[in-house]
Amino acid sequence: MSWLLKRIVRLYPRAWRERYEDEFGAMLEERPASVSDVYDVATGALDAWLFPQVIHERSVALIGSRMRRSVLLVLWAWAGVMAAGVGFQKMTEYEDFVRAAHESAPVGVAFDAIVVGALIALVAVLAGGAPIMFAALRNAIGSGRKDVPLLLCVPPITAGIFVGYVLVLVRVVDPIFGDPAVHDPVNVVLFVSIVVMFMLAVLASTASVSAAIGRSGVGERLYRFALYPAALAAVAMVVVSAATVVWGLALWVQDPALFAGDDGILATPTAASWLVVVAVMGCSACTAVAAAVSGFKASGYENEPI
Amino acid sequence: MVEEVSGLGRFSDPALFILVSLAGGEKHGYAMMEDIGATCGVRLGPGTLYGALARLERRGLAEPLVSDERRKPYRITAAGASALEAKLREIEGFARAGLGRLATA
Repeated sequence: MSWLLKRIVRLYPRAWRERYEDEFGAMLEERPASVSDVYDVATGALDAWLFPQVIHERSVALIGSRMRRSVLLVLWAWAGVMAAGVGFQKMTEYEDFVRAAHESAPVGVAFDAIVVGALIALVAVLAGGAPIMFAALRNAIGSGRKDVPLLLCVPPITAGIFVGYVLVLVRVVDPIFGDPAVHDPVNVVLFVSIVVMFMLAVLASTASVSAAIGRSGVGERLYRFALYPAALAAVAMVVVSAATVVWGLALWVQDPALFAGDDGILATPTAASWLVVVAVMGCSACTAVAAAVSGFKASGYENEPI
Repeated sequence: MVEEVSGLGRFSDPALFILVSLAGGEKHGYAMMEDIGATCGVRLGPGTLYGALARLERRGLAEPLVSDERRKPYRITAAGASALEAKLREIEGFARAGLGRLATA
């Protein structure tokens, strides 16, 4: 039975074994092992994994970085939902979709749920992110670093560039080509260029904010706090994704012709545009939920019930 | 102070037995098991003993002593003695109230 006990002891977490294995083994050698001992040591190994009492110094250092990674992942997921949401908004601003939302309660309610969910996610991201941004700026100014403030300037700069680009297209380029039709190659190129510019702006903004936070040395306490708004944002993203699914299905039932038509983004099939939006939102929402759960697991590592 | 021991969940009783055992002097794991069996009439399994011991050590209620042997002795800390006394006083008060009710029943 003793050999079995020794095997089971190997199932304990490494940190536990480094701390207790030697003396634990010495104790086991002092008396013959019984079946109940085998069960007791096995449940002890499970307990050591579920409620770790011995934590590597390296693990303690990792807790902060794991929470930071979770918060940043939620930010990236929100950027994904937002990008897909902008596409959805562009698609549904056509009169036919507005009419469908007025005529069908499920379509209208689903659309309202998308808007409310998106607003809640935005507020949650700002509530969790603002204290981190403020602390990052304060730390950077205190230590005389210029890279963090510069990185945090990227989102407003890219937003300005994007708005300027769209204004130039609408007021200068479009009139030159005489307001081209939807499927006109010129219109397609211009629209794709707007989409590309928008995606670049979102990517650059999110990446620069992530880099700024990574370099800022913000304390673990703020990430721990940010996990709560991050979780709320994740839930809101799930609501937005689910409501988008309901919106499409309700539209399919309410107005099959509209759903099967070519009123999607850039006059592509509506169903295809809707599916792309749902896929991007769904993946982003799942990422946000997984990140929030992972962050809470990391934050609770030191505070497990003992 | 009472919560220090009561808050250990399913390890509350083993932790209490260990603190009582260590209150009688420093001991290593096997000696604790023997002492607890003799004084409390309870046979603690090795996994349960070290699960409770790790919790007590993390809370600063018990601490290991330096030893050249593989068997490492432990002793109760000042915080552990205070927590144990508070817990035992609570049990004493509870026992007295229960016995008083039985006497008047």
